Amino acid sequence: MNKDSQMRAAINQKLIEMGERERLKELLRTKLVECGWKDQMKAHCKDVIREKGLEHVTVEDLVTEVTPKGRALVPDSVKKELLQRIRAFLAQHATL
Amino acid sequence: MSPAGCSHVNGYKVDNWKQNLRVIYQCFVWSGTAETRRRKAKSCVCHMCGAHLNRLHSCLYCVFFGCFTKKHIHEHAKNKRHNLAIDLLYGGIYCFVCQDYIYDKDMEQIAKEEQRKAWKLQGIALSLSAVSACVCFVFTGIGEKYTTWEPTKRELELLRHNPKRRKITTNCTIGLRGLINLGNTCFMNCIVQALTHTPLLRDFFLSDRHKCEMQSNSCLVCEMSQLFQEFYSGHRSPHIPFRLLHLVWTHARHLAGYEQQDAHEFLIAALDVLHRHCKGDTINDNGKKANNPNHCNCIIDQIFTGGLQSDVTCQVCHGVSTTIDPFWDISLDLPGSSTPFWPLSPGGDGSTVNGESHLSGSTTLTDCLRRFTRPEHLGSSAKIKCGGCHSYQESTKQLTMKKLPIVACFHLKRFEHSAKLRRKITTYVSFPLELDMTPFMASSKESRMNGQYQQSVDVLNNDNKYSLFAVVNHQGTLESGHYTSFIRQHKDQWFKCDDAIITKASIKDVLDSEGYLLFYHKQFLEYE
Repeated sequence: MNKDSQMRAAINQKLIEMGERERLKELLRTKLVECGWKDQMKAHCKDVIREKGLEHVTVEDLVTEVTPKGRALVPDSVKKELLQRIRAFLAQHATL
Repeated sequence: MSPAGCSHVNGYKVDNWKQNLRVIYQCFVWSGTAETRRRKAKSCVCHMCGAHLNRLHSCLYCVFFGCFTKKHIHEHAKNKRHNLAIDLLYGGIYCFVCQDYIYDKDMEQIAKEEQRKAWKLQGIALSLSAVSACVCFVFTGIGEKYTTWEPTKRELELLRHNPKRRKITTNCTIGLRGLINLGNTCFMNCIVQALTHTPLLRDFFLSDRHKCEMQSNSCLVCEMSQLFQEFYSGHRSPHIPFRLLHLVWTHARHLAGYEQQDAHEFLIAALDVLHRHCKGDTINDNGKKANNPNHCNCIIDQIFTGGLQSDVTCQVCHGVSTTIDPFWDISLDLPGSSTPFWPLSPGGDGSTVNGESHLSGSTTLTDCLRRFTRPEHLGSSAKIKCGGCHSYQESTKQLTMKKLPIVACFHLKRFEHSAKLRRKITTYVSFPLELDMTPFMASSKESRMNGQYQQSVDVLNNDNKYSLFAVVNHQGTLESGHYTSFIRQHKDQWFKCDDAIITKASIKDVLDSEGYLLFYHKQFLEYE
């Protein structure tokens, strides 16, 4: 594992330990619902299911089809806010 | 994907499988306690490549964590013939034989219970907690997280037997209904319009939450319930609120008679009677009925009651004596009344926050609030007995908001009934669509006193933000006048209610109006 992924793993561990990861997840969930992202994705998923047929579609199909669009549709303001939160958290726990 | 799950789980459901599954959920999926979180942080990495991302899954048959995206868990499944794995992000169970996530009823039940338990322990509120909160390891459980409604068998039955459905579209006018004027009853009609468009109150009554304990037919809450049914029935003809009027006369004698009354007085009287008649609905945590009229938890208190903090500071020893009183509305003095309004320069910090228009020095709602919460010197003729000095000293008094109600009602004191004269103050006061009450909070005052200035509006603290949803206006003079109201329907549609006549209004009409009673609703609500 190189330095970068080591750092990532360490940050992730700290986030989980302090419960901050869960809080960030909740924050993200709320923001994505508020900005309408969840509804957009729901509509897209319905389209994919209709295309593939309800009996044959698997979770994998949905994930493959829906992930790129989902990633692209996240508003910049949400990304910014989460980054801000993570930065603030790291600043507070600078012993990392 | 059948809801009965796949047959391959049967190989797993042996011995103590339920307990084992619970342990996996508690430790690795939804870690509630600090200890499980520490363990999760350390151990949840892929046993093959060490990564913690890539949709980590845990084998259900042995202790193995593997990436899903990189197919590490698939390899393990093939080699060891362990066909079941659990997704550590969402708790879904994957069957390698069916090659899809499966939904087994028993396992789903366990998953739901463990998730609830973890949420309770973590106490995640739906509002955003400050970053400093993550310092403490133990969280006070804030309670249930929102889950979607799943109907019971009985509810499904009822829905099948009653197939008629009401659909809410963006321009449907449901909830709007005129009210006939029964003889100077426009003061009552306005308040009824405002109350029937208070979202929380509407939800309370439309979900039939009132359980009447009164023997006679004179329960005002039941009548309100009826009123809501009338308003949301879809009828477009104006409603004749004669029963409501009669009940109001019975319970609030001072409002009886055909003279024009004050809409604000009616509001307070109505809230008071509703509060008293709500006794049957107040159940506190222990399932017992609340007996204390001052600390009741009825819907009126939940929505309208706030706490006003009054701090009296002795000028000699600087000791502060604090009292907190409940309030249903805030009555604000206006410039032009006989009590002097202190001169303000336009564009003070409060007004820029709340985006009010300053038409060359006109007063804003924020100005009135700042005046309301300013420290007031009580003067030498009104000395207060100071507990610290044990004597009568001069002091200053300051009012701030300790607890904000969900619906804040501002009463602009336009009717002056002093010893000298009786008149109506028609000074224009501009009020905003969105209001931030943070500068007027007791907590803000405390941080200002401690030298922490919060000039920028705290993005993370949405708790004090309000939206305007109803305005009651008075036209005319003290002797003869007429009340009308503007109410908000859906998100941005405003309607003018003039007794039986409802017309569409623009936001400009609303904001340009004189304003007598202003109703604001909290923008963000927390689940309790």
